[in-house]
Formats: sequence, C-alpha cells, structure tokens
Amino acid sequence: MKKSILDYTLRIRIPLVLFTAAAFCAATYFLSRPERDGIGYAPIQPIAFSHKLHAGTMKIDCKYCHTGAASSPTASLPAVSICMNCHTVARKNKPEIIKLTQYYEQGIALPWKRVHRIPDYAYFNHSVHVNRGIQCSNCHGDVEHMDVMTQVSEFTMGACLSCHRSAHENLKNIPGIKNGPENCATCHR
Amino acid sequence: MAEESKYWKSLHRLYSQGAGGDAKADEFLPGVPDEFKSDSLSGMSRKQFLALLAASAAFTTAGCRSYRDKGEIVPYTKKPEEVTPGVPNYYASTCTGCSQSCGILIKTREGRPVKVDGNPDHPINRGKICAKGQASILNLYDPSRLRRPQYGGSQIQVELSWDKADAEIVKQLSDAAANGKEIALITHGIHSPTTKNTLEDFKKTYHTAKLYSYELFNDENRRRAWEACYGTREFPAIDWKKAKYILAIEADILGTEGMVLEQIREYADNRDILKTAEFSRLYCIESTMSLTGANADYRLRLRADAYLEFALALKNELEPGMTDGAVGHIAEFAVKYSLSADVLERLVHDLKIHKGASLVYAGDLLPEEVHAAVNEVNELLGARVLYKNQPAEEIVRLTPASEIENLTARMKAGKVGVVIHFDSNPAYHFPKSLEYEKALHAVPFSIGLTEAENETSAHCTISLPVNHDFESWGDFKIRTGILSLQQPVIEPLYDSRQKESILLVWAGGRYSEHIYHEYLKNRWKTEVYPAAKTKIDFQTFWYSSLHDGAIEFAEPVQMLPAFGRQAVKPVPSEIDAYTIVLTESYYIGDGRFAGNGWLQELPHPISKIVWDNYAAVSTRTARELGLQNNDLITIGLAGASAMMPVFVQPGQADGTISIALGYGRTNAGPVGSNAGFDAKLYPQALLSGTRVFSGAKISKISGSYELASTQEHHALDDEFLRDIQFKRNIIREGTLEEYSRNPNFLREGEKELTNIAKEFEYSGVKWAMSIDLNKCVGCNACVAGCNVENNIPVVGKEQAAKGREMQWIRIDRYYSGTDEAPLLSHQPMLCQHCDNAPCENVCPVSATNHSPDGLNQMVYNRCVGTKYCSNNCPYKVRRFNFFNWRDNFANGFYEQESAVLAENPEVTVRSRGVMEKCTFCVQRIMEARQYAAEQGRELHGSDVKTACQEACPATAIIFGDMHDPNSEVSKMRTHGLGYHVLEETNVRPNITYIAKLRNISA
Repeated sequence: MKKSILDYTLRIRIPLVLFTAAAFCAATYFLSRPERDGIGYAPIQPIAFSHKLHAGTMKIDCKYCHTGAASSPTASLPAVSICMNCHTVARKNKPEIIKLTQYYEQGIALPWKRVHRIPDYAYFNHSVHVNRGIQCSNCHGDVEHMDVMTQVSEFTMGACLSCHRSAHENLKNIPGIKNGPENCATCHR
Repeated sequence: MAEESKYWKSLHRLYSQGAGGDAKADEFLPGVPDEFKSDSLSGMSRKQFLALLAASAAFTTAGCRSYRDKGEIVPYTKKPEEVTPGVPNYYASTCTGCSQSCGILIKTREGRPVKVDGNPDHPINRGKICAKGQASILNLYDPSRLRRPQYGGSQIQVELSWDKADAEIVKQLSDAAANGKEIALITHGIHSPTTKNTLEDFKKTYHTAKLYSYELFNDENRRRAWEACYGTREFPAIDWKKAKYILAIEADILGTEGMVLEQIREYADNRDILKTAEFSRLYCIESTMSLTGANADYRLRLRADAYLEFALALKNELEPGMTDGAVGHIAEFAVKYSLSADVLERLVHDLKIHKGASLVYAGDLLPEEVHAAVNEVNELLGARVLYKNQPAEEIVRLTPASEIENLTARMKAGKVGVVIHFDSNPAYHFPKSLEYEKALHAVPFSIGLTEAENETSAHCTISLPVNHDFESWGDFKIRTGILSLQQPVIEPLYDSRQKESILLVWAGGRYSEHIYHEYLKNRWKTEVYPAAKTKIDFQTFWYSSLHDGAIEFAEPVQMLPAFGRQAVKPVPSEIDAYTIVLTESYYIGDGRFAGNGWLQELPHPISKIVWDNYAAVSTRTARELGLQNNDLITIGLAGASAMMPVFVQPGQADGTISIALGYGRTNAGPVGSNAGFDAKLYPQALLSGTRVFSGAKISKISGSYELASTQEHHALDDEFLRDIQFKRNIIREGTLEEYSRNPNFLREGEKELTNIAKEFEYSGVKWAMSIDLNKCVGCNACVAGCNVENNIPVVGKEQAAKGREMQWIRIDRYYSGTDEAPLLSHQPMLCQHCDNAPCENVCPVSATNHSPDGLNQMVYNRCVGTKYCSNNCPYKVRRFNFFNWRDNFANGFYEQESAVLAENPEVTVRSRGVMEKCTFCVQRIMEARQYAAEQGRELHGSDVKTACQEACPATAIIFGDMHDPNSEVSKMRTHGLGYHVLEETNVRPNITYIAKLRNISA
C-alpha cells in the first residue's frame, strides 16, 4: 500500500512533535527549578556570618537579632548596633569583625544579600505566625546547622497553602493548631 | 417625602425627559472605546508569532538555570530606639493648611510620613481632619518643591549656598536699615505666638522692618463688627451642640467657613437617630449653593447684596417696637425678593419661641454692617448662652487694605529697600489693580521664602526653600487657653530650612538645625510653663505636651462686654445689575493646594466638577444671558475683567454669580499651573473681607471650555428604568414628624427576599459598615482619607472627563424638586461588599471572590482586565486602570522619586490593566489581626477602623462586626431607618444606609 501523507503524519510527525514537546517541558521544569522556587540559594554575604555558630553553638535566640519576628510583619535583620552589643568586646580582632566594626563606626549601610523573598504583591506577616507558635525552622529550616544561610523550602503560594490547608499534619509539634485562612485577602491586598 | 419627590442628578436630566442616548445608557462615555482600533495592530502572521514564541521560550529555558537575584536587605546601622521596621509610629503635630491650626496625628513608617489623621487628644478638632489636611502629605513629597537656595526664578536658576545667601541678605538688610529704607515683611495670617516673637526680634534688629499680614479668606468683617458692638475683636467660639435652631446667612459652616470640623461634629451630634428628640433645625439663606445649603432643612435663595436688608427686616420682626422706617417686615421682604413667606414665617417663629437655643450666623464674606445687624439679632435671641468662653485669639492683626495699597505705592516709588515674602504669594493673591509684580521689580532686593516656586518667588532676587509642616517646629493658638504644638516627623527632604529659623539667623543668630527648636522651647519655658501652673518639671511638661500635641490651660478670659447698639443704615441694593460672590474653594484653599493632584481631583461637593472653577449662574440668569454650560463669559467689575466658563447651578440665586477663588495659578508646578481660572476681579477693597460685589457686567464671548464633572458617570440608574425610579429607593428619606409617628414607616410594605441558592454560613467576625445619611454632610474628607490610605492615583482632568477617575469612594449627589429650590441628598457610595456579589459570578479568572469574613476581595495579580465585573456591578464602584496612571499623568510627575514615598507600603500600587475597588481597608483588618494574635485573643469588630471612618468628621461611617449584637454597626443594621441600596436585587450588601430625616413640617 502506498504510503499516504496521513501515514507520515501519524507515524513520524505526531510522535516527534509530542516527544519534542514533552522533552522540552521536562527540561524546562528541571532546569528552571532554582529560578522558580529558589531552593538551595546561598548567596555570598558581605560578612561571613555563621548562623551555626550564633544560633547553634551559642544558642542565641532568633528574636535577639530578628527583633521584629514577634511584633512586626517583617522579622527584620539586626541593626549593626545589635551585633556590636557583643562585638565591641567579643572577637574584636578577627577580620570579619573588623569589617563589621568599620560598618558601624563609619555609619555605612550593611547590604546583606536577601535569601528569602516572596513577591511584592504578597504580604506575609511574621508576627501572626510566630505568635501562633510556629517555629522559625518550619519555614527557614535548621538554621542552627547552616554556616552559610541557605533557602531550604519553597516560598511559593502552593507552599503557603499546603500548610494553611493541613496545618495539623505539617505542624505536629503545635497541638491544636487550626488551619490558616485561605482567602485571597489574607496575603493579597 | 420619598414618594412625592423625583430625584434628578443634573439639569440635563431634568429637562431631557425621555431623550434617549444619555450618558446612562452605556458603561463608558461616548468616545471612550474609540481608542482601540484593530487596524492599528501588528501585521505579524500567526505562524511567525508562534515561531518567535518558540524561539524565545528556548532562550528563556537556556537562560534560567541559575538563581534569581533577590536584592538586598539593608538594616539600620544604628537603629533608633522607637522604630521597629514594619510597625508604624504616630506623632502629634499641627496642620497649617488653613488658618484653623487643627491638631493632627501623623503616621510614619520607618521615619517617613504615610498618613495624616486628626489628633484625638486635640480639644477642638478631636481626631478629625479635613480633606486638605489629609492630602497635605502630597505637598511634602511634591517633586516640584524648591530643593536649594537659588537666585531668581526657574528661568535664571543660579544655585547658591545658604551661607552665601545669608551673607548677601544680611548685607542688603543692614544697608536698607542704615539708609532708612523700608524692609517689608509680607506674611499670611500669623497664628503662632512664637513666630510672632521671631518677627518681633527681626524687627528689633532692623528698625525699618514693617510687617504686612494678609489672608485672602479672613474674618475681618466679623471682627470689626464685634469691635463696634462689643468693643473686642475676639469673638467667642459657638457651642453648636446647644444651638438647635440655626439660621446660616451665606455662611458655609459645614463647608469652608470657621472651624469646620468642630462645626460639622457638633451639628452631626444633633442629627443622631438614636436621640431624635435632640434633632436641630438648620435654616439657610444664601445665594451660592453651598454644602450648608445642601444640608439645610429649609433653604432660601437670595441675591447676595440683599442680606443687610434681610438682617434688618429680621431684627424688626424680633423687636417690633423698634421698627426701622427704611426697612419693612419679613413679609414685605418676602414679597420684594419673591421668597417663600411660609418658610420665613416659620423661621421667625422658631427663632422667637426657642430663644436661648436659636442662633443666626452670618458668613465671613458679608460686609461688616450685616454682622453688626446679626449681632443685634443674636442679642435679641439671647444667643449669648451659646457662646463658649473661648474667644478666637488674634495673634497678629491683619493689615488693612489701605496700608497694603500704600505699600505697593511705596514699592513703586523706590522707598522700599527689601521685600521678604514669608511663605506668602502676593503676586497671585493681591488684586491685579495693585500691579504687585511691577511694584516688586521696582524694589532693588527681594526674597521669596517658599516651599515650591510660585508667582511671587519667580520674580524675587533670591528664592529660599522652607520646610514643609512635617519638617517644622511650631506652636499655634487660635483660642484662649489652647495651644497646639507642631513637631517635625521627618528630616528635611531637601536643603531647606524652617522659615522662622531663617529670620532668626538674619536677626543675628547662628544657624543650627535646632535654632528654632531651642527658641520655641525657651518661650515655652519662660511663658507657657508658668502659665500652665503644673506641678511637673519643665522637661516632663515639654515632652508630655509634645506627645499630646496640644495643651489646655486656665487663661484669664474677659467676660463678653455688654452689647452696644450700632445704628446700621441699609444701603439700597441695585436689583438690575449682577452681583458677584467670590467664595472659598472647597479643597485648594487660597491656591496654596493648587499643586496637589489629590485635592484638584476631589469633586466639588455640589457640582462635582474637578480641576476647575466656574461661574455658577441660576437657570433664569442663564436664560436671560443666553448661556449654557461650558459657555465662556467675561465678567467686568470696576474696571477689572475676568474670563470664566459657565455652569448652570440649580439653587443658585438669580442675578448672583458665584466664583471660587484659588484657581488659575500660573506658576504652581506641572499639576496646579493653569488649572481653572483666576477670578481676581475684585476691586482694591481686597482683604477688607467683603467678597460680595455689585454692579458686574456680564457678556458672552465665543468659544467654549469643557468642565469635567464626575457626576454623570457611574450613574446608578438606567434610562429605561426611569419610571420605576421611585421604587428603586436608592435614596430614602422621610421627615422627623413621620418618624416620630411611626418609627418603622420606611420598612412598611416590604417583602422578605428569599434566595434559591444555599446560604453560605459565615462564622466569626463578619465585616459590615453603616453610613448615616442624617450625619453625612458630603464634605469629601472620606474620599481624601481613602486616597491617601489606598494609594489612589491622580488621573488628570482629561481622563476624569472620560469617567476614569479612580477614587474608591465617591459622594453621590441627587437633586429633587425644582431647579430653583432643589432638595439635595448626599450618599457616599463605595463597594457594598455584597454577600451575593454579582461581580464575582462573572469574573472568568475568579480574581474577585468572597472571603469568609464577608469581604468582596479583589486580587490584582489574578485580574486580566476583562471589566466584566464592573459591567455587572449595580453600584458602579469598580475602577479600572486604563493606564499606569502614575506614568500617564503629567509626564510621570507622580512617578518621580519623592512622590512615590507617599505610597502606603501596606497596599499594592496597581498597574495598568487591572480592576480595583474598595477593600474595606483590608490592610487595617490584617494589622488588627496581627495585634490580636500578639495579645493571644480573638479579633474583635471594634479593633478596626477604616480610613473613611477615621476621616469622617460627622462620624457618619461606622464599621464593625455585624455578628456582634452589641456592636454599633449591628444596631444600625437592624434600625428601622436602615436600608440597603438596590435592596430588591437581593445582592445583600454589607453596607447599611440610614435614611435621612428632614426636620421639616409637612
């Protein structure tokens, strides 16, 4: 039987197109993961600050530095003056602390690289979560073990909603926690 | 009431019964969709497009293999103790937008002011602030502010340093003083005792210095009349709460005149439906249709030059024995001016039998004689008991008009060495006939202290930038025993200085940031602290006064002296000529707010016209002169003339033409320049206070000028439904009598509406609002408050004319009755947050949907801009971003660096192509939720106040939880006068309107 144009289309063209499309989608999905959810992002910071040392070994409370976590929508990074509470005395001759002291004494802004970020049109509130008993590590991971601050969870709407919808499974350590609100205006306004 | 009257929104509507194709019929005005033309689209084929799409997708994939940069977080180096990033701080201060010096509370975020409200601890304005005060934040961030000292105006612009400028100026001042040449210091009204001391110090250093103080809108006539009648210029404040029968004579007490916030509050207190026994009755006789007239129970219109005759006739009526021969009785007066004799009779009757609770109040713009006659009427009415023992202080007396004429003459003659404009703008404010600019050029050295370049500073030798209110120190006193403090809440944005400290430096001080701060503190230590007789030490006193923003202390007050009768002779008015009334503009003051886009775009409360002023004429006058809306006329008055567009205003008195001042500025930045028309055709008697001028010549000229009005768009009713308009009950009204007979008269005959769909079960807090139309006076403070809170953009006149203004709340104004004696109804209209919201059902992407606490949510990042929701909204409260407005308006003026600082960081700045609308201030609900979580309790309805509610000086707006039976809002929801607009559509709004009760007799 003579091969028709239909035959060519069915046997070669359609499978080829489908394969290319599928391969393309799969490649895009895996290749763009870092860009999409940012997991594993660990930028080089202007000062090689170690959370492992401060939060892990020395067990300094997160809220000692991130002062807004329980009282403001933004947890906020510590003002250099907070670092200097200890470092005017502690380890003051180490190179990183000398750098820090320079920032403080010369009044230069300290530009930390941002690790966690949600889009501008979403309004996250640290205070509400912290005051409901949710741990910092629930979203930010085991910061006590990180020498370099790294993003470990997704900060996408899907990630927010999966926890809001089944808070009990996700936060077993908080007995009696209720599901979070799911309406749009909770985050978007 | 509602049964007989037929509501109409404009004269066009009233007279074009049945004429179809009106603005109502379509969602968009004619011409609006014409901009979208399919043939102007790209000619690219579908295949080409797909190929390009595939290629770009491939490139994108290849390019997105690394992490995206998330920017930086820059913490404070040394954090100020009181600042927590993300949490607002509040500071008490004083507003100087007009001469009332209201107490304000400024909300700052990380050191930048983002919102202004009234200071709740202030004894006079008590937590409320007008539209101008609300929007004044935009003046702080105005990109056209002067940034550093400079020679000349914008044309020359040679910058110089403060040191150089100071040195040169001090030399010029010393030379002028040594040569015996006058140094003229021109200021606005001074209401600060410390500023007065500064000026005195300056005058001591330079003995030829002379102070000239002027104010375009002043109470000189009232003060002079009080001086003549009582021997004191300091008239007492009035207890409006106790005044139950008020007659306002051409006095816009609910709009522009006097301490409006206090007046509205105390008036509205007497309009509380929970206390109907205390209802007051407001009579108004006026030529211009004002907010007071719109709210009056009885309004009469009278040409503006007949008030003296009216006041004397009223006096004769109250004191029959003393009949003045020249003026007859009220009945004759009624015949002469064809006024309603019934209403006048009722007025006289009410005033007479309620002596001690009745009051007559004449407007500031009326001549002294009217005030004297009114004072006598009030004596006859025993109105003294309504006076509070708090005289209106006069810190610096305004300069008489004759002296200002003298000044310009001396300037022209070269007898003035230096002129200092102390944040004043005489080139714009003084009458044209004084030729101020010419006089200024004859002065060898002139200095303009100003926030932004203006008509005067452009002609000065040196312009110096001064601090905005929010960057300044100060104290203000408008009443005996009350002092209000001003403190800076932000570092000066530019290289500017406080105007008082500039004078202190010239007077020999050494400049430091704190020079005026120390000066002020010093005066408080030596003068105020001892007078306050407190037991705490000065530092504590000072800081607690700064914290509270205002102090009250016992200051000796003289008893009001006995009344001395003034023989007032009536001047016969020319009935044939036209009379001009120059009114105060509602929102841009004497022009100082002309550069504020938010205020320019607030609709005039009656005509709803934005961005312009106009000559308001009555229908009859328009017919006489053959005029229509938008026609141009010239008005000639005593040699001067001005061009004006015409607006036919229902309720305007025949033969009187009303024009708002403050418009037509020529040098007010890209926003304010050339908005409206300069109406300065007043004779040289300016600043004497009278703003009524007879004998005007009107002539129509060719051409027309389009006035943009927001009233005809977003119409609530539809053309073909005209006949069932009464049944729609958008506005429902009754009379107090009806209500006292039957408190449920409004609800009678109503049917229960049922729903075929399954009801959604709301649990917890459910948000609702009630708006009391008895209290609402239509002042627009809510609109301004919402603008600031919710980052509402300015769209400009051209776009506003297309119905694209973006305000989330508007005040709808309805007329009923005849165009000669219309009744007005105001109704704030905003998203009703319907339980069965029609907008939600039609959104193809579910960008608008409902929350479990009863909010109709709008998600911008999901919206694709189909506008279906707007089309389906029965209330027409949705606003579409046809452009990125910040970019579109005035070449991106409000996109510049300083202007964006005015945005509320808690609210998204919307971009082009998305729909938006009132959110019930969801950011405030979320903030309250945060505080509740911090305190470990449930959220209560009373935790949240919306921006419009906070702004409303009449407390007409109440917001809260309708599930809480004790909340104010649920009491209003179940009240017999409560109704929903378009209730029969069963959309179940969460906003309840309280029907207005007019205190009139059937």
